[in-house]
Amino acid sequence: MRWLGRLFEAGVYVTGITVSLVVLVMFYYVAREARYAFGDTFAWGFRLALLPADSSDDMSPGSAPYTTLVTVNAEGSDGLDEHEEIVPAPSVSSVEGEMMLTTAATLVSDITDIRADRLYRDEWRALKTTQQGDQFLVLGYATPRYQQKTMVLAWEPDSGFDPTLSPYRLVLRLVRAPHGVDVQPFDIDLKRQPSGRITLPAWVARTDAERSNGYVFEIQATPHRSAFWATLRGIFSTEWAPTLMYPRYGVLPLLIATTLMSVLAMLFATPLAVATALYLSEIAQPRLREWLKPALELIASVPSVVLGYFGLMFVAPSLQNWLGQALGMESGRNLLTTSVMLAVLAIPIVASVTEDVLKTVPESLRESAMALGLTRGEMLWKVLLPAARSGIMAAVLIGAARVYGETMIVWILSGGTASMPSLSSLQDVSRVLVGSTRGVPDTIAIEMGNVAFESVHYGHLFLLGVFLFAATVLVNLTALYIGRKQVWRV
Amino acid sequence: MVETAFPLANEQVVVSAHDLSVFYGETQALKSVTLPIARNRVTALIGPSGCGKSSFLRSLNRLNDRIPGFRLQGRVRILDIDPYGSRVDMIELRRRVGMVFQKPTPLPMSIYDNVAIGARSHYGLRGRRLDEVVEQALRQAALWDEVKDILRRPALQLSGGQQQRLCIARMLAVDPEVILMDEPCSALDPVSTFRIEELMVELAKERTVIVVTHNMQQAARVSHYTAFFMYGELIEYGASKEFFLSPKMQATEDYISGRFG
Repeated sequence: MRWLGRLFEAGVYVTGITVSLVVLVMFYYVAREARYAFGDTFAWGFRLALLPADSSDDMSPGSAPYTTLVTVNAEGSDGLDEHEEIVPAPSVSSVEGEMMLTTAATLVSDITDIRADRLYRDEWRALKTTQQGDQFLVLGYATPRYQQKTMVLAWEPDSGFDPTLSPYRLVLRLVRAPHGVDVQPFDIDLKRQPSGRITLPAWVARTDAERSNGYVFEIQATPHRSAFWATLRGIFSTEWAPTLMYPRYGVLPLLIATTLMSVLAMLFATPLAVATALYLSEIAQPRLREWLKPALELIASVPSVVLGYFGLMFVAPSLQNWLGQALGMESGRNLLTTSVMLAVLAIPIVASVTEDVLKTVPESLRESAMALGLTRGEMLWKVLLPAARSGIMAAVLIGAARVYGETMIVWILSGGTASMPSLSSLQDVSRVLVGSTRGVPDTIAIEMGNVAFESVHYGHLFLLGVFLFAATVLVNLTALYIGRKQVWRV
Repeated sequence: MVETAFPLANEQVVVSAHDLSVFYGETQALKSVTLPIARNRVTALIGPSGCGKSSFLRSLNRLNDRIPGFRLQGRVRILDIDPYGSRVDMIELRRRVGMVFQKPTPLPMSIYDNVAIGARSHYGLRGRRLDEVVEQALRQAALWDEVKDILRRPALQLSGGQQQRLCIARMLAVDPEVILMDEPCSALDPVSTFRIEELMVELAKERTVIVVTHNMQQAARVSHYTAFFMYGELIEYGASKEFFLSPKMQATEDYISGRFG
C-alpha cells in the first residue's frame, strides 16, 4: 500500500499549492482591477459671467440679458458636436474673423436678433479635461441694449468642483481687449482666488465682427502634478461621492465608519463573549456544557442576512423607541444599531474560541488557585484570565476580522449615508452614533452593480476591496501572532 | 494484612482518615485506609505509581472534587474540620491546609503578586504589611536573596527550582497549619531538591508536613513517619527509622530495596 501513501502525499502537495495560488491570484486580481482608479482624468470647470456693473451676485444664465460670454470651440463635424468641449480651443489669432461662435440659440447672422435671455452662456460650464498647455478661450461682449459704462467679469468654481484638489494649475487671464478699450491685462491664479470679479470698460457688440473683436479671456489649465498623486490624495480625502459631476472618491469616511462600528461592536461583544466562555468552561455543569457549546457554535453559523433582518425588524425599532428621544435618533438604522447586531454576530464566535482557549489553560493552574483558597471569582479574574490573555485577545481579533468584513448587516442597518464622522465634541460623538452611516464592504456591494465596467469608480471599488482585504489580513495576522504566544509553560 | 499498629503513642494527631475509600467512577483508588498523622512532623507517603497516595493527599483539601466521577466513603478529619461535612468552608479549609504540587505552577503574574495573592485574599493585607509577609515567606522558602530585586518580573522567568520555591513561599504566605506536598522535588535538580528537603525539616517545627515522594532516600532523610501504599491499600505505617531499617511486611521490603515498583 506504499503507492497509496505516495498518492496521498502528492495530493496534499498539489492541493496545498493550488489553494495558496488561488488565494494569491484572487488578491492579484482585486489589486489589478484597482488600477482603473488611477485612470482619473480630473474634470474641472469654472462658471464665468459678464454682468452689468450693478448686478447682484447671481450668476445663473438669463439673469443679465445684456451681456454675454461665449466659449470658442473648434466646431465638430456635425455642427452640434457634444464632444466639442473636450476639443482644445483654437489660438487667439484663429479666433479673429472666421471663427464660429456657438450659443444655445441657433446661430444667427444678425447680432441685433440675438435674444440675450435665450443665450446659453453657461455652455462653457461643461466638464473639461485638459492636457499640458490647453487653453480655453472665452469671448465677452454686451448686446446692443446694454447701457452702462462698465461691466463685470465674475468667476467661481462649478458647484462640486474644488480647485484645491485639482492637479491643475488654473489661470484666468485677459488675452485681448477690444480695439480702443484701455484696460490693464490681468492674470489670476484660480487656485488662490477661486472666485471673484473684476470690473472692465463696457464693450457693446453691434455686428458679428464686433463680437469676435470683443474681450477674449482665456482659462489655461496646466497639469502640474501627476494624476497618480492626485488620485492618491483624492483617495485619502474625506468625501465619498462617486456620482457627482466632479466625483470624490475619499475612502476615509467609509474606512472610519467601518472601523468605528467594528470597534464598538467588539467593545459590546468582548465582555459578554468572555463571560459566556468563562461560564461555559468553568462554571456550567458538564451536561449543560455539552448542550450549550454546540448551540453557541450553531448561532455562530447563522447567516448574517438573517441577523440583519432581525436587527431591522426588532432591534432597530426597539432602540428607536427606547433611546430615540434621549439621543435624538432620527431612524433606527444607524451606527449604534449596526454595532449592536455586529456584536451579536461576534459574540458566539469570540465565546467559542475563548472557550477553546480556556480549555488549554492547564488544570494545574486552577488547582493551584484552589489550593491557595482563592474564591472562584479570584481564580477566574486573577489567574485564569491573565493566563489566557493572549489567547482571548486572539479570539477577539478573529471576531473583529469577521465583523470588519461583514456586509449584509451593515448594508441593512447602517442607513447608507457616507459622511465623515466628526468626533470633536461629545455632542458630535452622539450624533455620529445615532447617525446614518456606511461602511466599506456594503459600499462595494451596493455600488458594484451600478458602475461602468473598468471606469474610475469601478477601480475605486476594487481599491476599497484591497483596503478591506489588507485590514482583515492585518487583524488576522495580529491574532495569529498573539495567539502563538499562548504557549503555557507548566 | 494491613499493618495497623500505629506508632503515634506520644504524638498529637492532627489529620485522621478512618476507613477512607476513594472512587473515580468504577475504579477504586483508595481502599479503606485508616491513617492518623502527627502534628508538627514530616510524614512521607510512598508507594508505586497509582497506589493511591496522591488520592489520599488530595482528599484532604478536596482537590479531587473537580475530577469527574469522584466519590468518597469513610471519615476524614483535618485539624478540627470535616472537609466533607455539609457546613465546611472551603476557603477556610484551604487557608489552613496548604499544598505544593509536583510541577511548579507559578501564576501568570509577577513574583511579588504570586506570593501576595493568598495573603491579600485571606487577610486583606495591603501595602507595608503585605510587603513584610511576602518578604518573610520568600525568606522562609530560601528564595528572597535571589528575587528581592526582581519582584515585579513575571514569575515564569524563574528557573524550575526557583519556581517551586516560589510556590512554597506562596503557600507559606497564607500561613497554613498543614502542608501537603505532592512529589515536590520530582521535577527538580539535586541542589534544588536538597534545599526543599531542608525546608521541609524547617517547616515541620511549626507545621505538619505530609509529603508524597518516590524518592526513598528523601523519605528516609526528612520524614519522621512513613506510610507505604500499594494498590490503594495502606500496607505499612511507622516511624521512618524503623520503617526503612526493618520493615515488617515483605512487600515493603521489596519496594524499598528496589526489587519492584
